[in-house]
Amino acid sequence: MDTTLIAQYVLAGLVIGVIYCVMAVGITFIYSVMKMINWAMGEFYMIGGYLQYLLITLWLGPSRWYLALPLAVLGAGLLGMLIQRVLLRPMFVGQVERLDEYATIVTISLTVLFRNLAIVLFGPYQFSPRDYAPAVMLGPLPLNGSRLVALLGAIVLLGVFAVGTRWTWFGRALRAAAQNRLGALSAGINLPWVDTLAFGIGVGLAGAAGALLAPVFLVFPESGALSTVKGFEIIVIGGLGSLPGSIVGGLLLGLVESLGSVFFSPSFRDVYGFGLLLLILALRPAGLWGEQTREA
Amino acid sequence: MKRRVAVNIAVGTLVAGLAGGGTVGWPASVSVTLGVLTPLSPPGDASAGQLIVRGAELGVQYINTVMGGVFGGKAGCAAPAAQVRLAVEDSSGVPEKAIAGFRRLVSEDQAVGVWGAFHSSAMLAAAPLADEFQVPYISTAASAADITKKHFAAVFRTHPIDPDRAAAWLGFVQAQGWHKVAMLAENTDYGIGLVEATRSLIAAGKANVTLDAVVFDRTSSDLTPQLLKFKSEKPDLVLNVGVGTPAYLIVKQAHDIGLFPETPMLGSYDFPVRPEYWKNLGPAGNSLAFISYYHPRMALSPLGRWAAVEYAKRYKDVAIYANLNSFGDAVILAEAMNQACSSDPKRIIAALERGHFDTWIGGGVTFPRAEGVYWHQWSPPMIILQYTQVDQTYDQAPILYPAGMKTGTYTAPR
Repeated sequence: MDTTLIAQYVLAGLVIGVIYCVMAVGITFIYSVMKMINWAMGEFYMIGGYLQYLLITLWLGPSRWYLALPLAVLGAGLLGMLIQRVLLRPMFVGQVERLDEYATIVTISLTVLFRNLAIVLFGPYQFSPRDYAPAVMLGPLPLNGSRLVALLGAIVLLGVFAVGTRWTWFGRALRAAAQNRLGALSAGINLPWVDTLAFGIGVGLAGAAGALLAPVFLVFPESGALSTVKGFEIIVIGGLGSLPGSIVGGLLLGLVESLGSVFFSPSFRDVYGFGLLLLILALRPAGLWGEQTREA
Repeated sequence: MKRRVAVNIAVGTLVAGLAGGGTVGWPASVSVTLGVLTPLSPPGDASAGQLIVRGAELGVQYINTVMGGVFGGKAGCAAPAAQVRLAVEDSSGVPEKAIAGFRRLVSEDQAVGVWGAFHSSAMLAAAPLADEFQVPYISTAASAADITKKHFAAVFRTHPIDPDRAAAWLGFVQAQGWHKVAMLAENTDYGIGLVEATRSLIAAGKANVTLDAVVFDRTSSDLTPQLLKFKSEKPDLVLNVGVGTPAYLIVKQAHDIGLFPETPMLGSYDFPVRPEYWKNLGPAGNSLAFISYYHPRMALSPLGRWAAVEYAKRYKDVAIYANLNSFGDAVILAEAMNQACSSDPKRIIAALERGHFDTWIGGGVTFPRAEGVYWHQWSPPMIILQYTQVDQTYDQAPILYPAGMKTGTYTAPR
């Protein structure tokens, strides 16, 4: 088989894998800190895409897409914080008994609300900003400029996220909340504020993925649906609550989907990811980096 | 999302009503309801649905104003004239919603005829209900062969079928002297039906062509692996058999990896004539060839000319095939009611089978009880166009095929 072709598949798999990582890290981060699963992550991906498109077409113009990106991420993050403050905070102030069910119902309702709001506001049509940059050649391999921007943008975001959570005071507070909420509270950490910020950062990451990929995958009301599925696939592969697991899981999923298309058939691309998921579950039921826990 | 819009176009409804007029109907009333079941929300091609609804609104306007409603002396029917109202249901392009929508149109809105299908899977799901309720259901833009091949008593079609579409593109491929074709088709009745129809024609020796067909999940956003495979095989033509968002994604991502326009691509339907085409794709959309069923250089019937002029006035836009064919289906149902002199759906079905109807393009429409896929089938003309400049309007796009209508040759990108 042609090595250039295989290299091109690997490159395509890595690019999409890194984007998957951003989504999965967002889901895992929210789960780690708040102990809840946000089923509306795909909708924040969609919102990021719409914000990016609107900022570029209505205000900043196509040449200043790089200014639109942080604004779109900020917009998605702020919306997330508002939603956490209004709809999810009651979970953590003793007003709700069945926390998991409450979070599931609220976030699933949000998916329906946001999809329908998108249809009402923008119609059921597809939109696409212009490509962020012209195509480039990586050796013999052509790469679309927007995909390159998405790849670099995702790497930068993950880097900033890693540095922010590891070496800043606030990052330590977030990690403390993730490890032991009661302990963090007794250490004087303002948990409600940490929760709000964690939710904002998590959905901001989803919004970033949507904004980065807006010219590649188009923006439309259901554009987040598949990314949610992929995101959850990755966190199960990597291990629920594990940030390194999310990154490795995302890259693995991107590569398996891409290489499965070369060696088997591209018709069953999505099946390869689920095959990987089943294999991991059979070998390591808690995922690659997940920890087996027992509850009394 | 369930969207249910009832649009009453009836103006000055006749108070006399149908009672006592000798008209057999469901139930006797002062207006007759026609229904449109079309995708108006994702995952369906909502843009197509919107165009179909516009055509339907225009059709009802024509029936109520130009025709003066149905009956009232038309086609020798002495029953008192009745106005027509339009009920619209959203199928979302998915079978279960199409079934629910058809039921609502017939049982709640009491529609005596339904049209507007765009997605074959949705049409095929609702078709058995048309037979069950004995309500005529016309496929406006759904082309899977099974829709007519299954010989539903109440199902009709005014849109090209898969074998005709496959024959058109294989004819085009042969005329270009191409031999190696790659096809990327979505996993719907439409996509799979077209793969099978193309394979059948090749197997039957109708074209000296090799075909590599790849089917993809229509919810996929990233089609790069599939397109990279084609790029490595260096086909003469890539057939883009996506509908709605996937159709755009195939063009965009093929352009991203350098497959298109270096390798020619043919869109399987007329999505490039829609206003959003250039907005979504920009320069990446240039050089695409695509199947269309109408070109402004084609002669319209008097009905079609009225529709084109009124459409421009009402919607400040140029009418395209989806508008015109939906308009035509509304008028066909009204003509069938006149010929049946009844709003009884069973009589309308009988009239559709034996009658001859005017539509937006010349030649007249009939729905013969023919063999195989041509059962209750009438096809508009099919042509292949190509965009040769960025932001080109489709009336400026040259016609590449068939030879008799040709106004230009395939232009390879510079």
